[in-house]
Amino acid sequence: MSEYVIEMRHIRKEFPGIVANDDITLQLKKGEIHALLGENGAGKSTLMSVLFGLYQPEEGEILKDGKPVKINNPNDATDLGIGMVHQHFKLIDVFTVLDNIILGAETTKFGFLQKKEARKKVLELSEKYGLKVDIDAKVEDITVGMQQRVEILKMLYRENEILIFDEPTAVLTPQEIDELMEVMRGFAKEGKSILFISHKLNEIMAVSDRVTVLHKGKCVGTVNTKDVTKQELSTMMVGRPVQLEIEKKPAEPKDVILNVEGLTVSSKIHKTEAVKNVSFSVRGGEIVCIAGIDGNGQSELVYGITGLEKASSGKITLCGKDISNASIRKRSMTGMSHIAEDRHKHGLILDFTLEENFVLQKFRDKEFQNHGFIKFGAVRKYAERLIEEYDVRSGQGPVTVVRSMSGGNQQKAIIARELDRDEPLVVAVQPTRGLDVGAIEHIHKQLVAERDKGRAVLLVSLEMDEVMSLSDRILVMYEGEIVGELDPAKTNPQELGLYMAGAKRQDKEVE
Amino acid sequence: MYRVDSKTGKQKFYSTAGFQSIVSALISICIGLIVGMIIVIVVGLTREEISPKGMVEGVKLVFFGLFSTGRVENELTFGFNPANIGNMLFRGIPLIMTGLSVAVAFKTGLFNIGAPGQYLMSTAATLYVALVVPTDTIPAWLVWIFAFAAGIIAGALWGAIPGLLKATLNINEVITCIMTNWIAANLVTWFFDARDYLKNSGESGKIGYVKPTALNGVETAKMGLDKLFPGSQINGGIIIAIIIAILIYILMTKTTFGYMLKACGSNRHAAKYAGINDKVSIVASMAIAGALSGAGAALYYLSGHTEFYWSTYMSLPAEGFNGIPVALLASNHPIGVIFTGVFMSLLNIDGLMLKSLTAYNEFIADIIIAAIVYLSAFSMIIKQLIGRKNKKAGETNVNDETDAEALAAQKAIAEAAAKKTAEVQADAEGGNK
Amino acid sequence: MILLIQQTMIYAIPLMIVALAGIFAERSGVINLALEGIMIFGAFIGVLFVRTMQENQVFTQEQGQILMLLAFLVSSVCGALFSLLLSFSAITLKADQTIGGTALNLLAPAIVLFFINIIAQQNVLMMYTGDAASWFMIKPSTFGYERGHEFGLLGSLFLDKVYLTTYLCLIIFVVLSVILYKTKFGLRLRSCGENPQASDSLGINVYKMRYIGTTISGALAGAGGFTYALTTSNCASTGEVAGYGFLALAVMIFGNWTPLNVALGGILFGLFKCIAATYASLDINGDGVYMLAEIGVSPYVYRLLPYLITLIVLAFTSKKSRVPKAEGIPYDKGQR
Repeated sequence: MSEYVIEMRHIRKEFPGIVANDDITLQLKKGEIHALLGENGAGKSTLMSVLFGLYQPEEGEILKDGKPVKINNPNDATDLGIGMVHQHFKLIDVFTVLDNIILGAETTKFGFLQKKEARKKVLELSEKYGLKVDIDAKVEDITVGMQQRVEILKMLYRENEILIFDEPTAVLTPQEIDELMEVMRGFAKEGKSILFISHKLNEIMAVSDRVTVLHKGKCVGTVNTKDVTKQELSTMMVGRPVQLEIEKKPAEPKDVILNVEGLTVSSKIHKTEAVKNVSFSVRGGEIVCIAGIDGNGQSELVYGITGLEKASSGKITLCGKDISNASIRKRSMTGMSHIAEDRHKHGLILDFTLEENFVLQKFRDKEFQNHGFIKFGAVRKYAERLIEEYDVRSGQGPVTVVRSMSGGNQQKAIIARELDRDEPLVVAVQPTRGLDVGAIEHIHKQLVAERDKGRAVLLVSLEMDEVMSLSDRILVMYEGEIVGELDPAKTNPQELGLYMAGAKRQDKEVE
Repeated sequence: MYRVDSKTGKQKFYSTAGFQSIVSALISICIGLIVGMIIVIVVGLTREEISPKGMVEGVKLVFFGLFSTGRVENELTFGFNPANIGNMLFRGIPLIMTGLSVAVAFKTGLFNIGAPGQYLMSTAATLYVALVVPTDTIPAWLVWIFAFAAGIIAGALWGAIPGLLKATLNINEVITCIMTNWIAANLVTWFFDARDYLKNSGESGKIGYVKPTALNGVETAKMGLDKLFPGSQINGGIIIAIIIAILIYILMTKTTFGYMLKACGSNRHAAKYAGINDKVSIVASMAIAGALSGAGAALYYLSGHTEFYWSTYMSLPAEGFNGIPVALLASNHPIGVIFTGVFMSLLNIDGLMLKSLTAYNEFIADIIIAAIVYLSAFSMIIKQLIGRKNKKAGETNVNDETDAEALAAQKAIAEAAAKKTAEVQADAEGGNK
Repeated sequence: MILLIQQTMIYAIPLMIVALAGIFAERSGVINLALEGIMIFGAFIGVLFVRTMQENQVFTQEQGQILMLLAFLVSSVCGALFSLLLSFSAITLKADQTIGGTALNLLAPAIVLFFINIIAQQNVLMMYTGDAASWFMIKPSTFGYERGHEFGLLGSLFLDKVYLTTYLCLIIFVVLSVILYKTKFGLRLRSCGENPQASDSLGINVYKMRYIGTTISGALAGAGGFTYALTTSNCASTGEVAGYGFLALAVMIFGNWTPLNVALGGILFGLFKCIAATYASLDINGDGVYMLAEIGVSPYVYRLLPYLITLIVLAFTSKKSRVPKAEGIPYDKGQR
């Protein structure tokens, strides 16, 4: 019997034009929690997809208990006792929790589903591990936290012994994260082996026994967690010493640029109010951060401010002008730049060229049109200037189709377009999502620079580190309300977490 | 907007998107024709009533029907046939227009499968105005313009309905277009059913048809084309169609309005974020598409001598659906549509030649067209595949920069850490012993 | 009233199974716009089969029911084969499903009319001998009774002057609906139309499920096409089914992609269709239709009502629509 339950040896996986995994070896001991650390795009998910049978590697082998195995599809993985909680949950929204759990592993009689036994088994598992779920509810109606418990139950229902968690904490509150860690430790104690994929150092330090670090598709090394520091891990992950803190001068707040009073926005999907009576203001020369767990009304708040969604009540003033009922275009002309949450959906037109994207708001300006005809020369010149100034890299310059650019450069293009408009207010929603550390640093520096120029920055972020290091003031949103205003210098992540989870709130009106 | 870099001018023609489109269109056409040929051959071999000679003639006509000049002493003759060419151009008019309709919608991210309905509504409006407005008091050319405008407006309004439903309630335009098609089919039949004075009586024409507009003196000017192609139905409509195609090309590529429509079609959300009124854009796109289909019907029936079979509730006009292959073959390029529209019309002429000269029938043309539509569904995929390949290659180049350095630094730390780990393990094992 | 109900059934039940055909394709994730085309093809094949069998005198008139059942089977098999063209482009080649469906809708009438003209030298293909009623309709004589035998109310409703295919379709509808909801296969099929990435991660072969869904869809539409031709067109094929396939699409949307609602929608739209079709016929006057004729509403109104109602329903339920989330999106294993 081998020491390792799973061994992946010298795995190589290529995609057209890119080597996602290059000679990676990963060894998982029975009963351990093994973290897989790496930046976005380092090859973690590809490696796990290989283990789970979703991809076939070009080279390398996989051993289960020392014996070579071939994993051609998820069925093989399940037969070997491998289960996975995917980063984006693999659930059918309109099915019930029970149907989701049994899907793919149904018990049948003459082809007909036998749900009674399945129900009993699921209830027992749920009881045993303290994974509370509403078994007959439809997945679309339950919380994200519960959806994750459904995913875990799916693995337990299949009696998996090797459990893969792919970035499981991204959607959870700090308290839920603690609970998950506890559950994971429980599994390990029972002899189940856990692979824990993350790019968050704190969690890895807290829960894992060993860490394997990947960088740009290559394996950097495997170490015992207790032998390394956070700083060392982050250097391994990024390839150079990283500034975990951003250098910035204290803020020098000036006049109020944006003032929001009693803003209420109803949710698109549900009939409820997503933003309830929110009031705050942002001054020039400061970065105000809206912190909170995903889905507590931050997106809707931004929709309300930028005009994508009609506010049901409240008053928004921008640069002294009432824009409560203005159109999106009017608002942006009054003085608002907007770095949207989802760059593919909202920020860019992927099938347009770079220069076409640069003039998305400005194509109707005198500068770029003449009696309704586009001035192509002016557009080209403008694009060339932005590319130069903001260091946007692309294959063919202004005529590159944006879809063909890397995520980091797409984001740079958006930032170039939005910041160059020189508006007094910058609304930035998760501006660093999905980017690697280098790009994140760059964007953070730029935002601080804009602040120092005297602009008002309203930042919405889900990343605790970003919130703590970048903001001058923190407003915490919970269930559509601002439940606290904190000074990043005087608070800590734990306290922030309590506000974010709704366990604590300041009762006084937030200014 | 501008695919080729004007500064370097380095992009070679064979690597441009336009060239790829032309090649894939030609491949589709060839395969379509081959499918037609195979069917002709197989049927010829299996049916007793078709002789081997008849079969060979059938194959010839599939490819060169346009140049058929009839039959002399039991042998097919070929040569320049001005009537066929004129008719090809004439029948190409509605195809160019519905092709433009579908192409504009595609360019703005919408699938206008509602062209048949828009075409029908326009037919009714055009015929009504052209037949009812008295030409003894109002000059016929003015009536022609009224009728043409009525057709365009009817088409635009009918097209705007799916647009409105898409813009306000986000209902898939394919479904609403299908529904509005059949509503139009019934409305138009109902309209003519209740108006006997618009119908041709048995004596002056075929039964079941609406009067041709020439009976009221309204017909499109020939512009001398009848002299160029004697014996054909050709008239100035083809010139109007070509002008409209050029205007649409300018609208879509050179103007801010076209930019707005395309932006909205490519990514409605991003356009909305950028302050473009997405709802207006979508409705405008569909209304323009409807207007173009409408213009097609108007030009076709205003020729003065074409008759409309009014009991249409059982089936939809082929001109509407055939706009889809016309647009797909042209990769939605408005100028390309002129050529593909005429090509589709050529196939129809081939079909008619087959029917009149052999034991085969005109439906072979429809089979070829259907095969081409089927193939064009993949040609888009093939083009996308080429695009994707280029992209992946580009990405790697941008990313790998300081890799070697970084890796060296990482390896050093990793090794140090691993050493530590090994020591600890050794300690632990030592301890155990 | 009996006639009205019988006539409605004749229109409603094929409508229901063709709508169910739509459900099977769309629930597996493939938009099947080609229902109309597949029906046209199925109708042609069924009629051609009947005609060929008659021509070669394989069956006598007394064996009409067997001939009809065989034709039903053959047209469903050929409908399934024809739908493979759609599956291949939509699933294997990941092409646009709307365009693929449209191609089939253009191809079916073209091919059918081409062959009908070759075979019959006209635009209609009919039975070789006799008519649908004398060969295939269930009458007192089918059970050995004499002509004019009274069955009583229920008997005359369900046993006199009806076609066996109507009941066959009804049984198929019920069985397949149960399969869709109560079996492992049904659960897996539905998952592929909602979130194929999830299905794939659970070891379900999405491509296979989608092929099966579309093929069942093709079989049902093919059989529906033959049933339509048999019961409403005197077992003749004309290269069209009068938009019946699109009407079925409307029924499916109206029924929100669930069999029970589709059954209701089928009956409602079948009733409209029946009123419109029998509006002018004399033998049914005196029945319910007579009253409707008296109102003086044009039959075209009844013909367009289903489409109009569907549009209105769509407009009001667009937010709550149960349209399968992944329908129309080709599944690509490489992208997740």
